[in-house]
Amino acid sequence: MSREALHESLSAVMDNEADELEIRRVLAASGEDEMRSTWSRYQVARAALHKELIDPRLDIAAAVSAAIADEAAPVVKAQRSPWRSMGRLAVAASVTVAVLAGVRLYNQNDLSGQQLAQQAPAPVISVPQASQAQGPAVLAGYSEGQSEAGDAQAAPAEGWHEQRLPSFVRQHAQQAAFSGGSDSALPFARAASMEER
Amino acid sequence: MRVLPLYVVLGGWLSMPALAADADEWMSRLAKTEHTQSYSGIFVYERNGAFSSHAVWQGVDGDVVRERMLQLDGPASEVVRVNGELKCLSTELAGQFSGGKAWHEQSFDTHALSEWYEFRVIGDSRVAGREAVALAILPRDQHRYGFELHLDRETALPLKSLLLSERGQLLERFQFAHLDTGDVSDSDLTPSMACATVAPSTQLDQQLETNWRSDWLPAGFRLTKADVRPSPASDESVSWLAYSDGLASFSVFIEPLKGEVVEDARSQMGPTVAVSKRITAAEGDVMVTVVGEIPPGTAERVALSMRAGAAQAQR
Repeated sequence: MSREALHESLSAVMDNEADELEIRRVLAASGEDEMRSTWSRYQVARAALHKELIDPRLDIAAAVSAAIADEAAPVVKAQRSPWRSMGRLAVAASVTVAVLAGVRLYNQNDLSGQQLAQQAPAPVISVPQASQAQGPAVLAGYSEGQSEAGDAQAAPAEGWHEQRLPSFVRQHAQQAAFSGGSDSALPFARAASMEER
Repeated sequence: MRVLPLYVVLGGWLSMPALAADADEWMSRLAKTEHTQSYSGIFVYERNGAFSSHAVWQGVDGDVVRERMLQLDGPASEVVRVNGELKCLSTELAGQFSGGKAWHEQSFDTHALSEWYEFRVIGDSRVAGREAVALAILPRDQHRYGFELHLDRETALPLKSLLLSERGQLLERFQFAHLDTGDVSDSDLTPSMACATVAPSTQLDQQLETNWRSDWLPAGFRLTKADVRPSPASDESVSWLAYSDGLASFSVFIEPLKGEVVEDARSQMGPTVAVSKRITAAEGDVMVTVVGEIPPGTAERVALSMRAGAAQAQR
């Protein structure tokens, strides 16, 4: 896993556009200091883009961890004192506040999210799809589909996959459709929808 | 008053097996009807970025099951099968098809499937103007997707099938718009001129030609086919392994990189995920690509588990 790819995933998470794999990667790396500082830098950059004030040192995750660490570990057979449960409530409340603050941080601006996403496209390769290929028949094109085709960059690494993936996908779909013993209508439709012209 | 909740709990507990048995019975009827019922109809297929409509005819005459499918919009993809064996294929589809059947015929085995999926009746519905029963097919682990399946009350034919991600997102939709359950005429089952005849396969007894195996497979998945093919883009040969649990399936492609520097990649096309991972092997790095209708995390784990070696993992 290269640093760049991780940073792109991080950016996607910030923009709420990450897929599940990206979220897992970022979560796996979230313990690293470098990752945290990158996160802070991205937040500052985003705030600067929109001329908003933000305190970059506000590390909510660290604050929550600290709050939890401060809480004494539950002791077996401990007396139920009212103060203890008050303390727990306080911790819960501080977590809630932290979460709310986080939500505000996330939702500050959607536009900047799109800009960032454009600056750093996630390494997703697009496979030519039947619906895009039928030029004249598609009267009202979906904007998503169009941009997907536009993302097909000619970088050597991505080119390697793009030369192979359509063929792999087709081979897989046809194996499922024509070699299986039963219910072939659904796999057939799946295979046909993978076809390019 | 204290007894009342107990009744509710007990009642719920007692009715659960009844519902499950009902669902199992529907699944068994589905498995049977697919080889015994003649029908014709029109269905739509939708996944993100693709929507298409298709006509399907199935004629059952004694032991002979003949199927013909034709795409109605865009390219006229067509396929004709007799007793599950491919007879003709339109040029649009002919590209990469290998010929030959899978080693292990994937017949619909409700009992085996119930080990990996839970079947549940979730209600009544109406599809293509017909009364239907809605079933949930829930995966028992996180390594496969669930379905919502609507079966015709009269014939148990599948009228609608929704593939759902673990978060309940709709990944693909298969749905009949029209269904006739009468006999099908010979002319409807006859392939058009564009459908190129497929020669009977001659390689039914092929052996394992690849020396790759997986160290880890999700429970229930087993190898259905393995082959070595020329790469679509280079002179290298690509090892191909196909796995299935009876409902879901995925393929693994392994191509030597010969020192080329290629990044990992991933892509999602509706229900189909493709994950490419670079693996270091004794003879040099290879690129492992997993393609299939399985969750991305599972595909990634399978890709990372591929090992060179003669022994085939049998699960």
